[in-house]
Amino acid sequence: MSKKSVVFVNGSPKIGEDSVSGYLTTMGIELFEDDDLDIYDIHIRRSMSRLKTEEDFPFMRKADAIVFIFPLYIFCLPGIVIRFLQDYYAYWLQGKDKTNTNQRIYAVINCGFPESGINEEAAAVIQSFSEKTGSIYRFVLLIGGGGMLLGAKEAPFMKNTLNSIKDAFRLMHDDIAAGASAPIPDRYVEMNFPRKLYLFMGNRGWYSMARKNGLSKKDLLAKPYLHK
Amino acid sequence: MLAYILSDMEYQIPLFHALHAQVCKYLADKGFEIIETSIGRDDLTYCRGCFGCWIKKPGECVIDDMMTQVNRNFINCDVAIYLTPVVFGQFSANIKNALDRWLPNVMPFFITRPDGSTIHPGRYKSYPRQIMAAYADGLTDGDMKLFEDIIKRHRMNVDVVRFDGNQDSFKEALDQIRFGKVGAKL
Repeated sequence: MSKKSVVFVNGSPKIGEDSVSGYLTTMGIELFEDDDLDIYDIHIRRSMSRLKTEEDFPFMRKADAIVFIFPLYIFCLPGIVIRFLQDYYAYWLQGKDKTNTNQRIYAVINCGFPESGINEEAAAVIQSFSEKTGSIYRFVLLIGGGGMLLGAKEAPFMKNTLNSIKDAFRLMHDDIAAGASAPIPDRYVEMNFPRKLYLFMGNRGWYSMARKNGLSKKDLLAKPYLHK
Repeated sequence: MLAYILSDMEYQIPLFHALHAQVCKYLADKGFEIIETSIGRDDLTYCRGCFGCWIKKPGECVIDDMMTQVNRNFINCDVAIYLTPVVFGQFSANIKNALDRWLPNVMPFFITRPDGSTIHPGRYKSYPRQIMAAYADGLTDGDMKLFEDIIKRHRMNVDVVRFDGNQDSFKEALDQIRFGKVGAKL
């Protein structure tokens, strides 16, 4: 039996710095690596800036499963991710065979707000994309408080959260390997951290970062676009 | 009174032209001065999530391109109308780019809304009324419902109107909207 192929698509728009989506993509690939699956990974920003999408799209087209990993921007997919999906859909429409009905779609969406449910509409966009490309939407992992994942991942209180994320990746892996068809509900993960404290620390963090750039608290309140 | 129309240069299908003509006439009949920006595929750099608009140049995107003028027009108009294609139930890439890079217009801080959800507070004391005029060939009810959910579940003072070519129903929907500045609540 031939190996199944999985494409990881990292939709972080960040350039040259660590990102939560990059961290999650690396985690997912490490958990997927075994003798049963072939893994191919795409970084959307890199693929587009290096004009490499024509090389990457056939891998997506043929894949047994695709795992999209991206941050939430203004309550839905970032512009760069929807651009990539639009272009892929145009490529897909040009193909003669549109019957890869066994392709499975998964996603991991993280947002900076603590509530994981804020990602639900973005998950529904992935579902709509799946339907239009003749693929099977399986499930999405929705993460709230993603801003803490990089900075606090070594902290003891993060252990359960990280285990929940890893469990979701393992569930994807096993679902792909088994070719299961029973529906799987979307999974929600939030930080094991008091919400009020999360907001308080987040707000202090902005002041602290601004101060490092030589700005005062008052500077943060600027209204530069208002005509006098 | 000033109206600002943003549209997607990539999706100028016949339905768009009918929508655009009707919106312009509607605004002119109401006495609005109109300014417009049509966003093409290569006009805007993608938001790179650097938060420079909050912690380096507060209120301004650190990328110097057409978006500076788009944000300036937005803040100083009374009503902003996005003629937006709906793709997989959300904004098209060009319109979404403009919305991602609208981020300088809010503050970085977290606040809690009455329903318990989190949001960033406004930077300005008032904003234009925002209207999302949605269109697409073959737009399904499911995708339209999703598009409405993306906006209505998370935003205040933003209206969604579907344009399917029926000018009467579209005008009726616009008639329900109060055109003009709204407060700081987003």
